[in-house]
Amino acid sequence: MNLRLHIWRQTGPSDHGMLRAYNVNNVSEHMSFLEMLDVLNEELIEKGEEPVAFDHDCREGICGTCGMVINGRPHGPLSRTTACQLHMRSFKDGDEIYIEPWRATAFPIVRDLVVDRSAFDRVIQRGGFVSVNTGNAQDGNAIPISKIDADVSMDAAACIGCGACVAACPNSSASLFVAAKIGHLVALPQGKAEAATRAMSMVLSMDAEGFGSCTNHYECEAACPKGISADFIAQMNREFMKSVF
Amino acid sequence: MQPLLAIWNSTIFQKWVMAVTGIVLVGFLAGHLSGNLLIFLGPDHMNAYGVELRELLHGSVIWVTRIGLLLAFVLHVRAGIVLAARNRKSTGVSNSKVTNKTSTIASRTMVYSGLLILFYVIYHLAHFTWGLAHTEYYSYVDSLGRHDVYRMVVESFRNPVIVATYSLAMIVTGLHLNHAISSAFQTLGINNRRINGLIRSAGPIVGIALVLGFLSVPLSVVFGLVK
Repeated sequence: MNLRLHIWRQTGPSDHGMLRAYNVNNVSEHMSFLEMLDVLNEELIEKGEEPVAFDHDCREGICGTCGMVINGRPHGPLSRTTACQLHMRSFKDGDEIYIEPWRATAFPIVRDLVVDRSAFDRVIQRGGFVSVNTGNAQDGNAIPISKIDADVSMDAAACIGCGACVAACPNSSASLFVAAKIGHLVALPQGKAEAATRAMSMVLSMDAEGFGSCTNHYECEAACPKGISADFIAQMNREFMKSVF
Repeated sequence: MQPLLAIWNSTIFQKWVMAVTGIVLVGFLAGHLSGNLLIFLGPDHMNAYGVELRELLHGSVIWVTRIGLLLAFVLHVRAGIVLAARNRKSTGVSNSKVTNKTSTIASRTMVYSGLLILFYVIYHLAHFTWGLAHTEYYSYVDSLGRHDVYRMVVESFRNPVIVATYSLAMIVTGLHLNHAISSAFQTLGINNRRINGLIRSAGPIVGIALVLGFLSVPLSVVFGLVK
């Protein structure tokens, strides 16, 4: 198939950036979206032009590194799918595709489609951890955890920190990400030690990074490649209030 | 320990302020509506209610309510404006293509519908409570010497401009409540898989029911059911 791409090109954080149009021909429907961009980049390099910078790592949908807004949807048109797991069979010959970076003040653009997501790391450092004893690892099942709690925790832990929630949110709020991290840890006995301060520290850190507030549109839930539920945001709201009093 | 001011200014605390004061205001709307509906029982009930409201416990009830409502209203509007301004700053440049999946016109325009309601409430108070707007309807007195609330309402709603403004304001309020009520529950963390469906569908229904209740009064006057 032949495609016309409109890709956001920006040479650096201080550059204004603009959409530029490119044609890619003979794209196989079996290619992943990122492989299609690899083909474009090879052509650009042969022509002596700057290739399009984009983040990618595992290319199997589990690392959270890739991420771009494809036709207005973070990670593209498929639900619960990262950009690397999106295949060109989801498009058809002659399609025009708009490819843009995550947009948020807290995610400054590094170059083209690459954004700096270290704000997430700093939020994690403020409370996304548990205290454990050093020494030998504990025996398996030494701490009893109900199946329900384990499942809820795992649902939240599925978050890969890609930032699609921020990109999808009309307010660029990081609520779903922060809520997933809080929800993941608070469900387990290992996470109880810091439970009183975790929500407070992480929420204040999220605010300080310049993310917006949640206005309950639930666009994040729809865009999340791991299907994290916005119920975790309600839980974060409860946990925050618990840590106030 | 975090300083109190940092907690107060945090997004989630302000959302709680918004939700709690919002519930107070929805409660007020329900009370206000039940008073309005007395119009269908006739002038005597309506005017007696007006006197009772102002004189209950030597007028202390109405003043405590007014101060409480004013506080709730101010905090609600303040939180709304502060958070909306913050969110605008957080989003920065927007994409050339934006596709919304789950957000609605109501949810995306809360700050605008809210500001319209603010302006309407001031005008509405000037009209029916302070007697500063449309003064010609304010001075009626019934046969018992009471402030004739019934006639003030009926005569006001014979004015098509007042009916149009009122109806428009109620539609905007409906739009606001369509997102507001369910949203308050989510913000307060009253949420689990069993009740989510109920909350997300009941919120808009309660909002629409309130608005239809308010609209029933001017419509009854327009169609001659209340004279």
